[in-house]
Amino acid sequence: MDLDFTGIDDLGEEEFAALENTVAKLTAVWEIRNLRGQAAIWHDDQHIGQKRRELQAMKHPSVNPDAIREFRAKAVVDSLEGNMLLHPLNMPVIVVNDACTKARAVWWSMGIEGLSKFRERPMAIVSLGMVPGTHIREDGEWRILNGAWQRTTKNEYHADWVHDMQPTNTRPPLTPEQDRNFLGKYAYRPDEVRKASPEPPADDTWEKFPDEADMSWLYVNLEAPKAK
Amino acid sequence: MPSVSEERKTNLVSAVRRLQAYEEIQNNMGRLIAAFNFRQADKVLGHFALGRPDVWLEFADEGVFEGPDAVRQIVMETVGAPVKPGEMLDLQLNTPIIEVARDLQAAKGVWWAPGGGAIPQDDAPPKAIWYFGMVAVDFIFLDGAWKVWHMHWFRFIKCSYEKGWVEDTSMINRLNVPVHPLAKPTTYHNPYSPLSIRDGIPAAPRPYDTWADSGWMLERDKSR
Repeated sequence: MDLDFTGIDDLGEEEFAALENTVAKLTAVWEIRNLRGQAAIWHDDQHIGQKRRELQAMKHPSVNPDAIREFRAKAVVDSLEGNMLLHPLNMPVIVVNDACTKARAVWWSMGIEGLSKFRERPMAIVSLGMVPGTHIREDGEWRILNGAWQRTTKNEYHADWVHDMQPTNTRPPLTPEQDRNFLGKYAYRPDEVRKASPEPPADDTWEKFPDEADMSWLYVNLEAPKAK
Repeated sequence: MPSVSEERKTNLVSAVRRLQAYEEIQNNMGRLIAAFNFRQADKVLGHFALGRPDVWLEFADEGVFEGPDAVRQIVMETVGAPVKPGEMLDLQLNTPIIEVARDLQAAKGVWWAPGGGAIPQDDAPPKAIWYFGMVAVDFIFLDGAWKVWHMHWFRFIKCSYEKGWVEDTSMINRLNVPVHPLAKPTTYHNPYSPLSIRDGIPAAPRPYDTWADSGWMLERDKSR
């Protein structure tokens, strides 16, 4: 379909600037989807120490670059053989602020994994979850400010998600309580009512939560109802 | 009142055209994969730039089918083969990474494609399978439409539903039968197995001005 730009010459400065801003926001949504797709590829291959272009916003005051580098440098498996983390990105909800400088988003994901910690035969894992996060522009491109994986399920393939919950693989291993307070904080539990988090960003997310480092937008459903 | 500069108008028109391309490419890929799932060979072929002598399709470890005749033949032989009762393939695209060339004449895209399927068996119910892969595509803008110029399907897992991707690796590689006479050598095949190592292929395309080659699909330098 060929586009018709008749009338573009008749737009005044204000109208034209508004149009530019709308186009910039739509382009931002596209670029952020690309950014998170790239992050998903690199999450899958798990090659620590490999030189890569930066996807994380490192200059923001809320970011501790040293802590991020330290986290990245820690191997959690003896060998990459048989390991994979395929967490596809579905159902994106992305809201860009009016200045087109920051964006909040949530994706849902039905993932599969292979996990071999000590060169043992890998475990096939089904892992459902979400990817919530905030993005800002840094060095002329969109970067991830915060937000990674939030687990819903992570079960050995044959066990199913009601009967098994694998913890996040770390060294040293997490206790169940530590895991519960980390990526498994809102994970499925057969004896609990599901908690509605993360909430996808609402259209007015930037009016209600103007600070990009503020993560409370994810947890609005967890607030105690106010007494009438 | 100062008028809007011509440069701003040009930039805006270009940005809108690129956004339009982004949507059209996603729709076309969705239609192509739907046709693939429904075994509609003619519709699949309708998405390829068959007017180009350098059109190609690479399929897992079956090789590269280059040129319109080779693409047409392999699609007709596979997608167009008679469908058996109980046969199913259901690929679903997600995780799109798309870059439209600034000259608006070409585009690059990568999708992940989890899927399920069913393979008919002799004297038994069909076998349920998982079938996941990734697809990398060069698109070319021809006669007002985005066409698949080069497509590489990367098989990731193909296993029985019952056993899963660790226990069953029997279907990740091609059988030991003669390669297709039109196939050129496979450029990359690294499906998941308990012994495989992931390496981030196909690579995500990066912003670009004008299409130069398809090397980006297998790019291992992740610093750029």
